[in-house]
Amino acid sequence: MDDQTKLKNEVMGRIVGTAQIRRRATAVITTGLVSIVVLYLLSLTMGSYPVSFSEALDQIVEIVTTGGNPSEMSGKVIFNLRMPRELAVIMVGAGLAIAGAVMQALIHNPLVDPYITGVSSGASFGVMLITISGLVTTSISTLWMVPAAGIVGAIAAFALTMVVAEAAGGRAMSYVLGGTVIGLGLSAGTTLIMSLNADHLENIASWMFGSFAGVEWNEAVLITVPIALIIGVVLVNARRLNVMLLGEDQAMYLGMESRRFKRNMLLLISVLTAFCVSFCGVIGFIGLIVPHLCRMVVGGDNRVLLPTSMIVGPVVLMLADVFCRSFTVGELPIGAIISVIGVPFFVYLMVKEGKRYAM
Amino acid sequence: MQCDDRPVLRVSNVGFGYKDERTLVDISFEIGRGEFVALMGPNGSGKTTMMRCINRIMSVDSGRIEIDGQDISALTMQEISRMCTTVPADTALDFSLSVRDYVSLGRSPYIKTIWWEDEEDERLIGDAMWDLGVAAYANRRLQELSSGERARVLLAKGIVQTPKLLLVDEPSAHLDIKYKVQIMEILRDLSRKGLTVLIASHDINLLTRFCDRILLLSKGRIVDYGLPGDVVSESSIEEVFGIKVKVVEEGGTIYVLPTGSAGYDPGV
Repeated sequence: MDDQTKLKNEVMGRIVGTAQIRRRATAVITTGLVSIVVLYLLSLTMGSYPVSFSEALDQIVEIVTTGGNPSEMSGKVIFNLRMPRELAVIMVGAGLAIAGAVMQALIHNPLVDPYITGVSSGASFGVMLITISGLVTTSISTLWMVPAAGIVGAIAAFALTMVVAEAAGGRAMSYVLGGTVIGLGLSAGTTLIMSLNADHLENIASWMFGSFAGVEWNEAVLITVPIALIIGVVLVNARRLNVMLLGEDQAMYLGMESRRFKRNMLLLISVLTAFCVSFCGVIGFIGLIVPHLCRMVVGGDNRVLLPTSMIVGPVVLMLADVFCRSFTVGELPIGAIISVIGVPFFVYLMVKEGKRYAM
Repeated sequence: MQCDDRPVLRVSNVGFGYKDERTLVDISFEIGRGEFVALMGPNGSGKTTMMRCINRIMSVDSGRIEIDGQDISALTMQEISRMCTTVPADTALDFSLSVRDYVSLGRSPYIKTIWWEDEEDERLIGDAMWDLGVAAYANRRLQELSSGERARVLLAKGIVQTPKLLLVDEPSAHLDIKYKVQIMEILRDLSRKGLTVLIASHDINLLTRFCDRILLLSKGRIVDYGLPGDVVSESSIEEVFGIKVKVVEEGGTIYVLPTGSAGYDPGV
């Protein structure tokens, strides 16, 4: 072997290639899934009604053997309240983090979040309308209307944004500007109508702050199934999303119908975000900060970044949720808690990274 | 079997316009296999539009573009991307992609599984990075490189895409003199190995020194197409670029020196 070949082999040996990236992705997913299961079990013990870890495990065995009919109080608390609630927390955490990572890839801007296309304002508007309509009473049979109105509002807002953005040329920036304007308009509408219906203020505000308090098994299933499906579709497209990072033109040079792909993805992500916010309210910052944080650590390859975000999102949201419901006097709104932690972190990011993005 | 004297690129009577403005008017030319051709002209002469039409980022209003004998209007983007690609002047840097990650994206049109590159892809990626001297910093992130290093990374991505026709858009715009020459040498060597290269630039002296033929564009029309020595003259440059120049010869290559004044007035 001559010197040149030897040198080449040595340099090539140091390159982090497909094999290493695959190993890294596998390691991340495995450790992540294990830590989510552990955290899930731990979260079942925490809250205003204390349950020890061994008792929780006993109760889980009991729940499984009785087919969801535990006899003891601790078992009932775990099965009826904490299990569905934490499942929803995991799914919403994963959904928002994935939605944020994909949005950042499509818009080519690491500082956008899943709400950039007006989805959250649309959901709020929908929830506000249904609340003041008086159709939703304290009766259980009408409660489904709130998330349904949220989903309809969110998707309608995205449809409006899409119409505006496509009319303005359909580029990524058209979606950012269109979504911002539609979002502002809907927020203003929400504020106006709310101010004229002050008696409903409390109900709407509690939804807007974000909370998992009302989530039971029905809601948990309705959240889990669509979010899991959409995340699956997104993961299949991870490599295409890498191509989209380069911008629409370069993606076309690489053979992608980038306009169509971007439109389909934006639609999918908006539906995903709609399911995330409609049951539990608008939870900010997860979709912005989790992907950004993960990108700093594992790099920008979506085949590693998306699984990582999908795991870090739930972990952060579970920690926040456990914190929120550890108070005996009442529960703190999780959306607000996340934002309280998120704002200083975001300011730090802006100061440290902002110059690079020419803001 | 494919016949080797068939042109890799044939542009016939192509026209393109935005609204009322004609950007390209009745453009026809051919480029043969392994040729290194320059698309030369001042800002706004239609160079970039021409390149975008050839890669079908934009569709022509009239006329026909064939790559390797196939009318591109009948092909999918993926089919086109396996025959022709564009090396952009620069790329977005905000996403913490490593050099290797970026170059590997050049294999996208060929990926067989949903996620991963295979051994063949891996070998092409490694070889392209080695050949262009960027393998040593394959693990560094794109934004950590100098412009000169990055220009070679952009080229490496184009090469792993294994096109028949490589379009290069303003590669030297923000490079210093050494790297400008280096990029041109790389492109010339690639064309000697059989790759057809079309480069858009207004850097006259680099183009006359390295390119086989020059296509001179002005206001969307072809002014001349031929050997550098035939196309570039004091009169043709003055006509197209609107400035007096002196053409000198040094070692068989011609160089253009701007001797006149460009002049400017406060808005006509």
